[in-house]
Amino acid sequence: MSLSPSSQMGFSGRPRVGLFVTCLVDLIRPRIGFAALALLEQAGCDVVVPEAQTCCGQPAFNSGASDHARALAKNLIKAFELFDYIVVPSGSCAGMIKLHYKELFKSEPAWRDRAIALAGRTYELLSFLTDVRSYTPAGVSLKAVATYHDSCSGLRELGIEKQPRQLLSNVQGLSLKPLAGHDVCCGFGGTFCVKYPSISNAIVEEKARDIESTGAELLLGGDLGCLMNMAGKLHRNGSKVRAYHAAEVIAGMADGPALGEETSF
Amino acid sequence: MTSRDLILGKVRRALHRDGVEPGPVTAIAESLLSEPELGRPPLPEGDLRSLFASRVTLPQIGGTVCVVEDLRDVPAAVRIYLEEHGTESPVALQPDPDLMQLDWGGLAFTSGISPDQTVAIQKALWGIAETGTLIFHSAPNCATLFSFLPLHHIVVLEAKHIVAYLEDYAVAAGHMAVPRNANLITGPSGTTDIEGSLARGAHGPGFLHIIIVDKRD
Amino acid sequence: MTALETDFKPFKTRVEDALANRTLKVAIERTTGTARLKRAAAVSTWPNFAGARDLGRRIKDHVTSNLDHYLIEFERNAIASGAKVHWASTAEEACEIVVDICKAANAKSVTRSKSMLGEEIGLPLALEKAGITRVETDLAEHIVQLAGDKPSHIIWPALHRTREEVAELFRKHHHTPQNSDEIPAMVRSARRQLREAFLRADVGISGANFLIADSGAVCTVTNEGNAELTTTIPRVHIVTAGIEKLVPSLRHAMVLLRLLVRSATGADFTQYTTFHCGPKRPGDADGPEEFHIVLVDNGRTHMLGGDLNDMLRCLRCGACMNHCVVYRQIGGHAYGGTYPGPMGSVLTPELDGLAGSRDLVHACTLNGNCQQVCPVDIPLPTLLRGWREKSWNEGLEPRSVRRALWFWAFAARHPFLYRMATAVAVRVLRLFGEAGWVRSMPMAKGWTSHRDFPKPASRTFMEQYRAAQRRARK
Repeated sequence: MSLSPSSQMGFSGRPRVGLFVTCLVDLIRPRIGFAALALLEQAGCDVVVPEAQTCCGQPAFNSGASDHARALAKNLIKAFELFDYIVVPSGSCAGMIKLHYKELFKSEPAWRDRAIALAGRTYELLSFLTDVRSYTPAGVSLKAVATYHDSCSGLRELGIEKQPRQLLSNVQGLSLKPLAGHDVCCGFGGTFCVKYPSISNAIVEEKARDIESTGAELLLGGDLGCLMNMAGKLHRNGSKVRAYHAAEVIAGMADGPALGEETSF
Repeated sequence: MTSRDLILGKVRRALHRDGVEPGPVTAIAESLLSEPELGRPPLPEGDLRSLFASRVTLPQIGGTVCVVEDLRDVPAAVRIYLEEHGTESPVALQPDPDLMQLDWGGLAFTSGISPDQTVAIQKALWGIAETGTLIFHSAPNCATLFSFLPLHHIVVLEAKHIVAYLEDYAVAAGHMAVPRNANLITGPSGTTDIEGSLARGAHGPGFLHIIIVDKRD
Repeated sequence: MTALETDFKPFKTRVEDALANRTLKVAIERTTGTARLKRAAAVSTWPNFAGARDLGRRIKDHVTSNLDHYLIEFERNAIASGAKVHWASTAEEACEIVVDICKAANAKSVTRSKSMLGEEIGLPLALEKAGITRVETDLAEHIVQLAGDKPSHIIWPALHRTREEVAELFRKHHHTPQNSDEIPAMVRSARRQLREAFLRADVGISGANFLIADSGAVCTVTNEGNAELTTTIPRVHIVTAGIEKLVPSLRHAMVLLRLLVRSATGADFTQYTTFHCGPKRPGDADGPEEFHIVLVDNGRTHMLGGDLNDMLRCLRCGACMNHCVVYRQIGGHAYGGTYPGPMGSVLTPELDGLAGSRDLVHACTLNGNCQQVCPVDIPLPTLLRGWREKSWNEGLEPRSVRRALWFWAFAARHPFLYRMATAVAVRVLRLFGEAGWVRSMPMAKGWTSHRDFPKPASRTFMEQYRAAQRRARK
């Protein structure tokens, strides 16, 4: 019998999932991590949060600093490669691991193979819940009108569009209003938003207008970076729209403080 | 070393080869088109003439169409068009044998085509149903400028020369000598260069009227 | 201020100028907004557009990987049709060839039909230096010429000008300008003005959308009909074309034309698609007596087989810029090169050098919309990232960025250190916040000058998770 990760599933019948919370969730909004943890357990997974996780290396990769990106990628591969799945509450970090790690290791075949093996088991949280675990939220209700922004990496790199909407449609009392330009970039772009603040601002200003004109009370999305950008702009403009990661809503945690609302938790 | 040698040398270095056998390359090029459906949108249901007519008269293309039964009916159709547009100035007629032999009644013609020509009449070699396109090949009896100088471009098209797809034209034309100019014309001249808003008659004709000749039995 | 003056300012200043210009934003949105809607509509009526797009990609890749074969085949057939074929390694050489042909023809006046390659090699300036009168005949290029501007888009070079500005220009420069400032009246005024130029020209210069290898024909597409008036009336027709424009045959061109036109304007086909093959023939009533084709390299062979090989597929449709959130805010002139938008940000470092265009490759959110709408699937984000890597490796990145990334990467490689650093960081960040939000923070002006920053929770996820684990074990 081999000791490959998937063979470990046999003992409990539950897949072992390594949860990569992402550096932004770790630092800014731990609630998303706990929502992910709860949802994965409800979806029948044994979840572990490896201590050795830090950052996936995307900021370095997108800055052209491939050496740094490679070092961080190796770190992450080592921390996660023994799990059946690695699940990430962010389309852009999941996309980094799934699609770009193998580009980083073009000239290191051994690492490239490990990166490819890991990529095949890497999923963004919401699509993992629907596509792999056929999970449907039950008994969750939230009386609110919301709108949904599709973050670009999740949408274009991983094809995530229907999954969050399908999950949210099972939240009782929640109605989703379509957002004009839901698939148009919000202007975050990782380090772009601080390197070119005025261009980023002009883009998110338009996005904030589109969000406001839906009349929704809540802005939902699947990527904390984009949510921080949009919510930060909305708040600066004095908007009443509150922002949550979709996982928080699906996990029934949207009765707590929204992004940027005073919290100790 | 000439620039030709320099460029070809660089190309070959980049491709890591000294030369190339043309045969296999041509075969690969041909195999790319082995499924013609892949490279074109499906055509809606209908006969080619109606497909052509409904396309070329779409607002974004902007042509007008009338159908006559016989070539001999063309002069009457032209007169009706000219009366509708209130133009009485002499008309430039392409010296095409089919057009020349018609009885034009008292219609006045110019000898050639002038820079400020109001009306010119031409006969198209083919029409393409897919796009509503008319095709002209330059020749001693077919001046290219007939399609570009006039304000009103009147075109006679025989329904039997309407083909389905652009490729059907390419195949048909492949059997004849390559003309100096092959003009594929889809509607009158237009521009969206000012604020993306469409205006007609930018440089070429402002009006394109097609008289389709369709012998129905 | 004209675009020519803008050239000498640094990128960030050009951006600020553009963002401050609200008229520009309105003008950009009018044209690109329509273009986006029309493209989406055109694509949606073709059920297997994705299949055709993939075929387009394969056709272009086939040509690039057999470029030597197709260049030779095209040259042979073009010569057989009576054309004279010239080869130019560099932009300077290409301009020299064109100017020499004009001089040999004793040309006083030339008409030009829009060609981005002509802009790339600096042909307008070269003609001016040679004392040859140049008349741009594409309506937008005509506007750009009257205004002393540069093109700001590759399909709508004058999209930065509103109708009011164009009306003013025409009143100032046209012999018999329009009375009303409605667009059709302005178009008629340009028609009158340029008709004279067409008739007067000694030489007509065009670009090429495709070069057909198996016939030696040159394909141009326009909606106005200016290319045909430019190339049919004068005694001499000169084509300048990049060597990547080759296609094997007319049938291959048809597939690419469908993709090009839908992606560019959302139409199914251009009004005027013309295949030019050689000079006037015996008995022809019109057509040029001389037909010259200048095949231009200008860096293309350097891209071939290298990191930018995929860029040689580019059809110059402009869809990437119409859909780019950055282009839509700053417009074409802020990019500073011949080609704006995503495809421009990839090409400009190759044409003008990376050191001077470092900002272009970074001023992109990598959101991937450009690749998605590209009719030949050019991985523009990947190519831009490739430039960033080069910039990093060549030490062109600012020291502050290098240092910040080094520290981040160092900490992130050492999880224990990282845990401590992040635990401290959230506590420090919280000091700047009030009522949940940080409104201003040193070292983070880029963020807080425009938006608020959410105040982090009191402890990181990992701290809280570990505490929960410990509680569970007790």
